[in-house]
Amino acid sequence: MSLVELDRIRKVYGAKVAVEGLSLSIEPGTMFGLLGPNGSGKSSSIRMMIGITRPDSGSVRLFGKPFERAALPRIGYLPEERGLYKKMKVLDQLVFLGQLHGLEAATAAKRAPAWCERLQISEAIGKKTEELSKGMQQKIQFIAALLHEPELIIMDEPFSGLDPVNAALLMDTLLDQRKQGRAILFSTHRMDQVEKFCDSIAIIYQGKLVLEGAMREIKSRYPANRALVHFSGDATFLEHPAIARFKTFAGGAEIVLADASDPQLILHQAVARGTRITRFEIMEPTLEEIFIETVGENVAA
Amino acid sequence: MLPHSLNNVWLIARREYLERVRTKAFLIATVLIPVLLGGLVFGGGYMAQRTKSSAHIAILSYDPAFAGDLKRELEGGKDSDMQVDLEPLDDATRARLNAEIKDTTKHFAGYLQVLPPAGGSVRPRFIYTARSASDIGTDTALKVSIKTVLTRERLSGRGLGASEIEALLAPVEIENPETGDTTAAFFAAYVFFILMYMVIMLYGMNTARSIIEEKSSRIFEVLLSTIKPDEMLAGKILGVGAVGLTQVGVWMLAALILGVNFAGAITGTGGHAIVSATQIAFFIAYFIFGFLLYSSIAAALGAMTNSEQELQQLNMFLVIPLVFCMFMLLTIIKSPDSALSRFVSLIPFCSPLLMNFRISIGAPQPWEIWLSFILMSLTILAILWVSSRIYRVGILMYGKKPNLPEILRWLKYS
Repeated sequence: MSLVELDRIRKVYGAKVAVEGLSLSIEPGTMFGLLGPNGSGKSSSIRMMIGITRPDSGSVRLFGKPFERAALPRIGYLPEERGLYKKMKVLDQLVFLGQLHGLEAATAAKRAPAWCERLQISEAIGKKTEELSKGMQQKIQFIAALLHEPELIIMDEPFSGLDPVNAALLMDTLLDQRKQGRAILFSTHRMDQVEKFCDSIAIIYQGKLVLEGAMREIKSRYPANRALVHFSGDATFLEHPAIARFKTFAGGAEIVLADASDPQLILHQAVARGTRITRFEIMEPTLEEIFIETVGENVAA
Repeated sequence: MLPHSLNNVWLIARREYLERVRTKAFLIATVLIPVLLGGLVFGGGYMAQRTKSSAHIAILSYDPAFAGDLKRELEGGKDSDMQVDLEPLDDATRARLNAEIKDTTKHFAGYLQVLPPAGGSVRPRFIYTARSASDIGTDTALKVSIKTVLTRERLSGRGLGASEIEALLAPVEIENPETGDTTAAFFAAYVFFILMYMVIMLYGMNTARSIIEEKSSRIFEVLLSTIKPDEMLAGKILGVGAVGLTQVGVWMLAALILGVNFAGAITGTGGHAIVSATQIAFFIAYFIFGFLLYSSIAAALGAMTNSEQELQQLNMFLVIPLVFCMFMLLTIIKSPDSALSRFVSLIPFCSPLLMNFRISIGAPQPWEIWLSFILMSLTILAILWVSSRIYRVGILMYGKKPNLPEILRWLKYS
């Protein structure tokens, strides 16, 4: 059973088509990356998924049934536009939000401090929101999305504005949730952030789906035609018919190979010219590169 | 366990209520507003009493007896507390007094010349030379006192005794054994009007503000992931309204406790309470409806705007009907049951204030009262329907102020 199934949903705001014929499904126990540049329709899609807006056409199914509001407390949502009540104490706030998701006040009050401790913000629990740093507020909202132990967790740009240490802390928490069998929908424009963790992805661009599928499967569709070289000395070996294009940086170069050429040839030429190679690595294209390649094709077509 | 949606409304309303009641602002407003209002009412009354004219003038009269009577009236009369010198009526005195008027170191307001009647009139001629043309208080006091003295003189000329004259000139008092003191009852109705006006104004705006707060803190998106915009609006209006009711409740209770002591002093005997239980019941009913009505307008305004500043520009939609009621109040005071009064008091935006006022001072038919409640209910539902649409679409289209065609289009979205 898919937790979320979107079938050709479409949303138009005035003259602007926000989402056009988007279909995707999210399976339990997976981390799903909804990717795309800013303004590509990620947030609009999520809003339709959880009934904040209704699609103009197409259908939304949650937990195997047609959309119904009764299913919403089974979802935890961290919106991109964040906000908390400024004057309200953190604990009261978490309890209130927990109650709105169907938790008993007592249960929420018991879980909230445990979560704060886990995310290393225990000192915040008795304070008002306006007294907290931005990062802390973001963690509070993160907790609010997870407090009621939802089966589906939706995170819209969860790490924006967080330092790497805290981003890693939240990512670990999310991975932990996945281990417990929950599904996570992770929406971001930072494709490099999710590459390592997502089981499946959907990339949307200008409201349309451009790429969808299991991460492994997508990557395997694109040949490992990148090479990273660190070297010192003569750089003329880069002028080689096997190299389609390259970018140099201090002490190295990123190479895109010409179709069906053997990288060994390049290595061979470098050695022949006396260049010292300290690193030579064949790489898969990154998601970002795949995205640019796909969108580039689309724009051309 | 409540049904899901009612439970949501309850949660929102309770949060709104508790967060507001706990603030210092609420405490301060609860204590300070009645103090200020009381200060205004009683202070104003006191000041009005103190503004009896106390000018220093001189009277130059051809008739010393008349001058003496007028001096007595001006110095010890009901409306004035002047200092009066009697001077001879001649050119030397006039010149001296003219000089004195120009001398700003002295508190001399002017002089009154009483000249013999001329041109067949029976009245003497009066010429008042004043330092300031705008000294209305002294002017009025002179007119009133002269008239009293003249009347008294004429009456005594017809052979009436002094005590008979005083009895004739005494103010008329109408006894009203059925309803008690009308002035006090009118005053009470007026206080109700002002109270309702203020609270609606204050808490209507609070509803709008609380919606904007949610929008500017952007927390609504999390809330909307489990609850519906209508539930959120309903919860907010009820929560903020309950705060208003609490505040008015505190005031009424305080007034009741103080009133037990006061009422006796104001009404004297007779045992008629100034404020009847019916009045209070209608006040509460109309307050609740009026509040819901104006809050739903405010909610629509809040839903349309993104900041306090934008709200300020739109709050005339809230103020204009209220100000219209203020104007209409005058019509109703004059003739509470005229066709115009009956018509305006049925307009849903005015009923809470005007029908309630008419119940206190006039005699509206029971069907009018029922009709006013029915019309208000329908209006509230219509406005809520519209504002929840505006809200739902408006919050998701932030950043840009909507124009009218856009708002109309929003109404079509669901």
